[in-house]
Amino acid sequence: MSDREWCSVKRRVGQKTAGEAISRAVLAVCTLVMVTFHSINPSYASSSSLAERVIEHRLANGLTVLMVERHQTPIVSINITFAVGGINEQVGQTGIAHLYEHMAFKGTRMIGTTNYEEEKPILDELARVGTELDQRQRDGDANGAKATDEEGTTIESLRKRFADLQAQAAEYVVGNEMALLYQRHGGVGLNASTGKDLTRYMISFPSNRLPLWAAIESDRMAHPVLREFYKERGVVMEERRLRNDDSPNGLLFETFTSAAFRAHSYGIPTIGWGSDILSLTPADTEAFFKTHYGPNRATIALVGDINPRDVITLIEQTFGKIPAAPPPPSLVTVEPEQRGERRVEVEFDAEPAIVIGYHKPTLGDPDDDVFDVIDAVLSEGLTSRLHQKLVREKRIAASVGSDASHPGARAPNLFIVTATPLAPHTTAEVEAAIYEELERLKREPVSSKELEKVLNNLDADLVRGLRSNSGLASQLALYQAVAGDWQYILTSRDKIAKVTAADVQRVATQYFTKSNRTVAVLMKKGNAKAAAARPVSGVRP
Amino acid sequence: MKRGRADWMNMRSEVARLLGVVVLLLVSGSVAYSADLEAEDPRTMTFEPVEFSPPEPERVVLDNGLVVYLLEDHELPLVTITATMRTGSWLDPADKVGLAAMTGAVMRAGGGGGLSAEQVDAELDQFAGDVHIGIGRQSGSASLDVLSKDLDRGLEIFAGLIRSPAFEPARLELAKLQAIESIRRRQDSPGSIVSREFSKALYGADHPTARESSVDSIKRLTRQDLVAFHRHTIHPNGMLLGVTGDFTRDELLASLRKVFGDWQTGTVPELKIPDVSEADLSQSVIRFINKDTSQTHLRVGHLSIKESDPDYVALAIANDILGGSSFRSRLFNDVRTKRGLAYSVGSRLYTGMHDQGVWMMRAETKMTSTQEVIERFVANMERMRGEPVTDAELAEAKEAYVNSFVFSFASPSAIVSRLIELEYDGLPKDFLQQLRAQVIQLTKEDVLAAAKKHLRPDRLKIIAVGSGDALTKALSAFGDVKEIKLSPEG
Repeated sequence: MSDREWCSVKRRVGQKTAGEAISRAVLAVCTLVMVTFHSINPSYASSSSLAERVIEHRLANGLTVLMVERHQTPIVSINITFAVGGINEQVGQTGIAHLYEHMAFKGTRMIGTTNYEEEKPILDELARVGTELDQRQRDGDANGAKATDEEGTTIESLRKRFADLQAQAAEYVVGNEMALLYQRHGGVGLNASTGKDLTRYMISFPSNRLPLWAAIESDRMAHPVLREFYKERGVVMEERRLRNDDSPNGLLFETFTSAAFRAHSYGIPTIGWGSDILSLTPADTEAFFKTHYGPNRATIALVGDINPRDVITLIEQTFGKIPAAPPPPSLVTVEPEQRGERRVEVEFDAEPAIVIGYHKPTLGDPDDDVFDVIDAVLSEGLTSRLHQKLVREKRIAASVGSDASHPGARAPNLFIVTATPLAPHTTAEVEAAIYEELERLKREPVSSKELEKVLNNLDADLVRGLRSNSGLASQLALYQAVAGDWQYILTSRDKIAKVTAADVQRVATQYFTKSNRTVAVLMKKGNAKAAAARPVSGVRP
Repeated sequence: MKRGRADWMNMRSEVARLLGVVVLLLVSGSVAYSADLEAEDPRTMTFEPVEFSPPEPERVVLDNGLVVYLLEDHELPLVTITATMRTGSWLDPADKVGLAAMTGAVMRAGGGGGLSAEQVDAELDQFAGDVHIGIGRQSGSASLDVLSKDLDRGLEIFAGLIRSPAFEPARLELAKLQAIESIRRRQDSPGSIVSREFSKALYGADHPTARESSVDSIKRLTRQDLVAFHRHTIHPNGMLLGVTGDFTRDELLASLRKVFGDWQTGTVPELKIPDVSEADLSQSVIRFINKDTSQTHLRVGHLSIKESDPDYVALAIANDILGGSSFRSRLFNDVRTKRGLAYSVGSRLYTGMHDQGVWMMRAETKMTSTQEVIERFVANMERMRGEPVTDAELAEAKEAYVNSFVFSFASPSAIVSRLIELEYDGLPKDFLQQLRAQVIQLTKEDVLAAAKKHLRPDRLKIIAVGSGDALTKALSAFGDVKEIKLSPEG
């Protein structure tokens, strides 16, 4: 199916946003194959050659700025991307990257308050009381019925004090002032998202308002204030219920991914486990910000009606004042090799679905480019193999898709295939048919026509990626943050062009093995005896 | 929800909802920024308004009545063609609901113009050409998106599918199986259930704007039904084409005449949707659907005005302040920011020209806060009716509308789509500019009067999806509660 639908399959997976409209795309998922700009076809080089249009600037504090001029309309789209996300979290504090992203909309010492000097001691005391209250309530829950009257009385008085402090703090709040400023000045698309790899903040507005943006965003990068913390924690819990607990696909992917990764933080849901969210403190969240939000971890991409020289001056004068931060702790955990198939099931009041995933290397490994080709051969377009075979010929699936970078791209990840069976066919039948197609990749070389199709679509998508200001800003910042260089967009295209039929056979044979795979099945509740979660007999790896 | 129509329709609703636009902005890339950078307080910054004159598309009518809007844009080697067709599922016979949608799906999937389905798919995929065809409730839409080097061939295929679809039996059979599967999956997600049941509660389950296909109605569809539906409803004189991108006018018109010029005119169906009776409008209703969920999924609202109503602008601004403007709105601030009771909360005014609009508030919240959220809905609604909005709220809403107006003209395809949708709806081409002028003139009294007249607590329909007994109890604070039993097939 179209790129769009293909992308929407991936959209179920990982990203969380603060605004109302949430795209759940895993960053770097809809990316490698779908979005690229560069074209080998020389006839398009002049108009679509990104290399000539991107202007790059780096500040002394490490902040990277990428700019593309487009003067048709007096508007600009801006994407600020930080190389921080769920991947940086520890067990017990899961969801902290996403909660911080929500808190980043609460303002600064200047925005969102009537008087920060007076507000601050109240916020400090609220954090102290709130943290103690959380702690005592957890202890109380752990002790169960054994809680004494004395403990009960202490908790009750803490609750009263907490409610009182919240009311006092609320007196100083100017609600959602940052968003209000943007909207008054014509801002649209104000939003943010947190994924496994990255946290991103986006906005579009009339381009003569750049000084407003620079003032707001440099202030937020330097002096955020975590006001209304406990209310926002409640909002995030509602978000978790909405996306993961009440969503069959949300719960299926959460369960699948945490089964596939047992050590690496890719296994943790980006939104966090409910118990962890409810234990996050203002102090933890502030510390997370200080560790991970330095300007040296940020890329700002601006696309639209801008004058790059003026933009650089503006950004130097504002963001340039922010000191560089020390490098964050390095990521140490490496997922151990998987030594046997893992199967999990999720019961839900919904029709069945299946996800199958294989561990693989990520960006920078030549095999990763081969997976991008496999991904396209299997599921891009109506003539892709899985669609043709499962949907059209066998008529056993209602939909099928794949993704070469689940749930992120900064660390070794998974190649996944997802499908929904067409009743009365079962997930077991669909699973067997998927394995047949994976086996075929090992057995016979893909045709040169298929490889040509992959490349034609990649090149067309590169040109299409230039169409919207916000889309281009997003792609530039994404690759700068994930691959360390936006030009990865161009180099990956050339590497994909070099992938051969023999590469595909070799990679399929090496990675698509039974012991390297994880299978998750969504089963209709009360219908659990269906054969769904049993291993498929008669189909090898 | 109410818009079963093509995407472009939603686009305008969206813009209109945010009331987003007014003074054409000015800005030039070479102007250095005038604000005082040392002041650094964004709250006190002011900027020049920006003059911006969007390019004017050309409108050409072919001899057979086919209307073409053209706007060249040579930045990228791409061409996009859209077709908007006066057809839709309001024409579905009562026992064959789903016919229009199925016709659109199989026009795309079933081959045409002398090519087999497989040939069409293979050729388009090979040169990365995108073709979509769909028929919604009040219009049909098709699009072609190709690299400009493939324009001629892409256009031939595109025109073949629209004019002479083959409706290959195997592809129809597959599309029917897929449609039945999606009916089976309708009850999977609480969000989908609550939207569909809310729509049915407002319009009635058999109304063209709310009715749904069933396994039986899909099974009944034959190839002959699709052929006849296509033949009777899709005509050149009922179609508006929009062409943007890297083409030249004369060559393109010649190509269009080649593929569409000898297509005979026909009788274009009249787009007429019956109004819901006053008796049904005035009834307040509380219904729940029992599903094992962690949250209550809520929709609260009633039918509303059409876009041509003289109160449209005032009501749209009232809704914007109440719950339409996300972060800035009262409902967002009250229910989400201050109380932490929901992630997604707000209100919407959906309006069109052909059926009554919908005004509604929505949220998802944990079971124990369901009653509080509904109370906040009602309280905020009453406040809109009881007292004028503040000067600051009105000024902010106006500024947001005026300063974001330029985004209605953000790209050549946005400009062309807007003109096409206005023509389709019989509205003047400067309709948005007229709205903008009205927004600027609007007073607090206008907003209050519109809220009083059009936000009606006595007519509220409350629809909730959630877990059983506790939910019934929470809802019963607002009146008599009845359960909607879902059929397993959707």
